[in-house]
Amino acid sequence: MNIIITGLITGSMLALLAISFSLIFGVARIVNIAHTAFYMVAAYCIFSLTGKFGLNPVAGMMIAVVVVTVLGLLAYKFLIDPIREHEAAVLIATIALAMIFQEAVMLIFTGDYRTVSALIEGYFIVTGVKVFYQQVLTFGVVLVILGILWVLLMKTKLGLAIRSTAEDREVANLMGMNDSRLAMITMGISVALAGFTGAVLAPLTVLSPYMWMEPLIMMMAVVVLGGLGSIKGSFVAAYILGFTEALVVFMIPKGAFLKGSVALSIMILVLLLRPEGLFGISFEEER
Amino acid sequence: MLLEIAHLTVRYEKAVLINDLNLYVDTGELVSLVGPNGAGKSTTLRAISGLVAWEREIKRRSAGSEIVLEGTVTFNGERIDQIPAHEIVQRGLVLCPERRRPFREMTVLENLLAGAYLQKDRQKCRETLDKVYDLFPLLRHRSHQIAGTLSGGEQQMLAIGRAFMSDPKLLCIDEPSTGLAPLIRQEVFEKISEISRLGITILLVEQEVSVIFKMASRNYVLSSGKILAQGTGQQLLADEVLRKTYLGL
Repeated sequence: MNIIITGLITGSMLALLAISFSLIFGVARIVNIAHTAFYMVAAYCIFSLTGKFGLNPVAGMMIAVVVVTVLGLLAYKFLIDPIREHEAAVLIATIALAMIFQEAVMLIFTGDYRTVSALIEGYFIVTGVKVFYQQVLTFGVVLVILGILWVLLMKTKLGLAIRSTAEDREVANLMGMNDSRLAMITMGISVALAGFTGAVLAPLTVLSPYMWMEPLIMMMAVVVLGGLGSIKGSFVAAYILGFTEALVVFMIPKGAFLKGSVALSIMILVLLLRPEGLFGISFEEER
Repeated sequence: MLLEIAHLTVRYEKAVLINDLNLYVDTGELVSLVGPNGAGKSTTLRAISGLVAWEREIKRRSAGSEIVLEGTVTFNGERIDQIPAHEIVQRGLVLCPERRRPFREMTVLENLLAGAYLQKDRQKCRETLDKVYDLFPLLRHRSHQIAGTLSGGEQQMLAIGRAFMSDPKLLCIDEPSTGLAPLIRQEVFEKISEISRLGITILLVEQEVSVIFKMASRNYVLSSGKILAQGTGQQLLADEVLRKTYLGL
């Protein structure tokens, strides 16, 4: 039971992170290393808003997502957009951005571990295992967000434009889709989702300025496992890795130290056997 | 004159792809652009639809090779050579790209709707969709099939249908018959004639000279980025040298 709960929560969190990461990669070929740093910033936002300013946690979450989205758009406009066509430069710039966030958080909040209180306290017991209401809530909210994202991508005109641009930027232009504007919008959505993940997860985790690194690696593993650019792939792979992680932690003694390496081993295995990932499409570069 | 290209020059680094090219298309015409590989036919279409300028912008940002684009393109009385690609579509100049390039992971219907991205009026979009389905009945049957699973011929029909959804005044089609079986080619050409009869002006790039010369009202023969000759099919075929050297007939 513990395994299922942890697996579901970790999986959902990874799914949200990986899908939002894939989204901006697909549309603008931006590898945003700072993606999980936005998630960290959101968590700290909630910490300070609810803890220091005594704001209502839901309002705190909303504000955190907005703050992170604005930060993301600013970073996009002034840092990423000017070098967007230069993939290596984007990579370096976003690493730098993540570092900046990390150090800024370090300066403001110091390196101490912090916690955010749960939205709803209490737990119920299923088959002898404590299930916290907060865990259920987090899982539920993540599913709702994934659902909304699905509707946005599959059922709206904006979603159609995003998917078209992700698949063939040049042809999308021929249909009248403005690829730079779409990149900007997608960046907003992507970062908002990262912030949102941070917001819903904050009560379940420990906050530190380095908390972005581990999910970053896991998220990359998910994206590679699922196939770069495939949203369905990211979704499935997130739960595979989420459950693997939970299994390792609970089944193997001292498994908590091993969870990262097992996830990465799976990633390497997949890369060896199926370089395009589980659901990946091999990219045909134009010309 | 619906489209007028004057002194168009395109250079990628030192390679001159198009050299001082002039051509025009009148409303209602079906004009073809023929010539050997590398003559600059596709580049001409890419230049007028704004893709060369778009690519230039990307190259400039990534500090890659330099692209030079000079000359003027006038469409419907308005200069469009400084306008970005996604706004050129809006004015009714639509390109159906080389190698078809459907959105392979989306359904046929989604592909068509993507073509109508700029159409704000839902009713009008429906009507155009019905027109496309009447033109290509097979697309109606396959509307929920993933585009990547269609055959080459079907993908070509889809690509033309998708371009048609953008409500073109001038439809540019780049090598629609390439890689298709003879029978399917025939069908593609018939569909293009049908669209032409609907009153849509067409600028067609093709290799299949013998068929095209019968369809088109005028033809341009391109070689090394220059217009070598122009005229009706009969006029061009009458020129022995041209026929043997450039048209391969």
